[in-house]
Amino acid sequence: MRQDLDARVLAWMAEADWRADEPRFTALALELFCFQFAHCTPYRRFCEARGATPDSVSDWRDVPAVPAGTFKEVAIRSFPAEHTCKTFRTSGTSSGRRGELHLDTLALYEASLLPPIRRFLFPDLESARAEGGERFRIIVMAPTPREAPDSSLSHMFGRMLDALGTSDSGFCMKPARLLEQATAPVALCGTAFAFVHLLEDAGPVRLPDGSRVMETGGFKGRGREISRGELYAWIEEKLGVPPARIVNQYGMTELGSQFYDSVLREPERPRRKLAPPWTRVRLVDPETGRDAMPGKPGLVTIHDLANTGSVAAIQTADLGHAIEDGFDVLGREPGAEERGCSIAADLMLGA
Amino acid sequence: MTSAAEIRAAGERLAEAGAALRDRPRGRTVDAFASLLEAWRDPGGTWQKRLVETLPGSAGFSPENVREGLARGLEHWTGNALRELVSRELEKIGEDARGFPRTSVLLAGSIPMPTITSLMGPLLLHSPVLAKPASRDPVTADLFAESLRDLDPELGAAIEVIPFASDDSQCAEAFFDADCVVATGSDETVFAITRFVRAGARLVAHGHRLSVAVVGPEHAEALALDVALWDQLGCLSPVAAYCDAADAERLAEALAQALSETEKRLPRGELPTASAAAIRRELDEAAMRRAAGRDVSVRGDEALRWAVVREADAGFRPAPLHRFVRVHPIESRDQLLQALASLAPHLAGIATDLPSEVFAPFCVRVCTPGTLQAPPLAWHHDGQPLLAPLAR
Repeated sequence: MRQDLDARVLAWMAEADWRADEPRFTALALELFCFQFAHCTPYRRFCEARGATPDSVSDWRDVPAVPAGTFKEVAIRSFPAEHTCKTFRTSGTSSGRRGELHLDTLALYEASLLPPIRRFLFPDLESARAEGGERFRIIVMAPTPREAPDSSLSHMFGRMLDALGTSDSGFCMKPARLLEQATAPVALCGTAFAFVHLLEDAGPVRLPDGSRVMETGGFKGRGREISRGELYAWIEEKLGVPPARIVNQYGMTELGSQFYDSVLREPERPRRKLAPPWTRVRLVDPETGRDAMPGKPGLVTIHDLANTGSVAAIQTADLGHAIEDGFDVLGREPGAEERGCSIAADLMLGA
Repeated sequence: MTSAAEIRAAGERLAEAGAALRDRPRGRTVDAFASLLEAWRDPGGTWQKRLVETLPGSAGFSPENVREGLARGLEHWTGNALRELVSRELEKIGEDARGFPRTSVLLAGSIPMPTITSLMGPLLLHSPVLAKPASRDPVTADLFAESLRDLDPELGAAIEVIPFASDDSQCAEAFFDADCVVATGSDETVFAITRFVRAGARLVAHGHRLSVAVVGPEHAEALALDVALWDQLGCLSPVAAYCDAADAERLAEALAQALSETEKRLPRGELPTASAAAIRRELDEAAMRRAAGRDVSVRGDEALRWAVVREADAGFRPAPLHRFVRVHPIESRDQLLQALASLAPHLAGIATDLPSEVFAPFCVRVCTPGTLQAPPLAWHHDGQPLLAPLAR
């Protein structure tokens, strides 16, 4: 059953035509729920406690979502532990616990990551792809996969460089000089935190036209916190890359798939994150468990068919809001003040 | 909204009001505030009534909760309690202790009692007060100033309440241009204002804190009241209960029932989406731990009006507040003290019927369950004395 499911999801990922195809998604999501219900004991008990079983669930929206924080404490596998070939871990916090995604194959993980990158970070390479010339100079500000073997982000960047990077592409934590010398367009990628470090040190340069930036992750617990708008203005000031050419990636260790801003692909439409067809993103009202009312924020809950080896439905810790056919993740409300004087204990714990 | 020029003008008016206080006998000031507290502590009086009418709209509490919270919180704040407090403090800092030419008070949160003491402290030392009200409580400071003007116009002239946008740096510069600044808020807020406070000025910061309970199942009702008042958002609201391991599950069950009953009398107020998301996440994570075989139990109202998670151990976990309580089993007194020691820097109060000596290592308020939200006047927000930090 699992091999058949993997094969059908892989086939979908390989298709260039991104059609949502609801019946196909529903069929795969329900079969995957059956499989994971049967093979992941904690998940089965979690679902049973909610009265959700393969017999009772006929809509993928009713498949119980596991909170992402659970991956810090519970080994979530739908395969025997001894078949684990790779474990990705979340970045550490002062609470000391790191989330773990165990995989028994990297096939889906790797197959799911490239199509969205091509589509949203390099839409201009799609025509070149047909001619076999789809390469771009990519500079990544992150540890290499060898330096951080349990980092899913480093792994993703490594795959991206292998598949799409030119020979002068690579990892570089301090690329200021490389950027000064750039004469051809560059794709500069890294965590938002890495960009803050770069921008603090880098003198103003103007990256060649056609350059782009991909940033991911936040700043929580890293001391300095700036808004995304401030970061983008700073990138424009220091690197000459306007916000319209800066793409935010939304992803997490617990998910096989990632979500990218639409700005490069659909510059005339609002910035939003668009989901690959083998995923669904719901914004759930945390009080009711149902879809949030239009215009209201909701908990970003992701159903990712790439997660065949763990669980497909993941409840993230983020609030988001819908924008046309996509979504965006909400940061903390600017100027929001606390109602009480009790410390937010997650802050105290640094979680 | 207010401009920086208006804040500076208020500062000039306060300088004049401060000069008028210079030769005023302290006893008259203490008597005035003693009368003011007597007026405020009357549940049928003007000030509590007006707060019950106006605070729920801005702060998001139910009127029932504000009514009960004020009645309990101000119950022991008598005129005599104030006289004793001032007398005791002046013995230590000197009878002729004076405050600064001006004290700027940055208010936060939406629970009235800390606002009252924050405003009253400098004025008792004849330091005029310029106050910025909290966005979630724009009413308490204004009512306090109004009641003071009614009672004693000379003192009433020495307080001005000026709202301005938190991100207006020109207003902030004018506001914090004082010899003494009192700031209440998160560590982040306090850190953010340090850049505005001039060199050599006194900064009195009251950070956010939390409280816990050390109780058995027989205290479930009292604990539920401590949790429900102010929707568990105050620093004296217990976020966790430590209980003898043999009784922990019984306490969780009794507490769930008591919270459910209390909800009928003191309905929970507004629940912001981010807080609802945090509660949902913590409940679901606890359910997954249980599903994975951990000895955890989860109880909660479907609409997230209250929740009780009985954990498998004493390890502290995130507290999303809004009536979400964790019950931690404790095997020994040593284990309890160890668990509390990890919270010590942030701990404000402990509700328990154990002797207070047990908690001597911690500088916290120890009280019987059900009375956490009724601190004596002498307990000023986070344990600092009321007057000493404000004296020159």
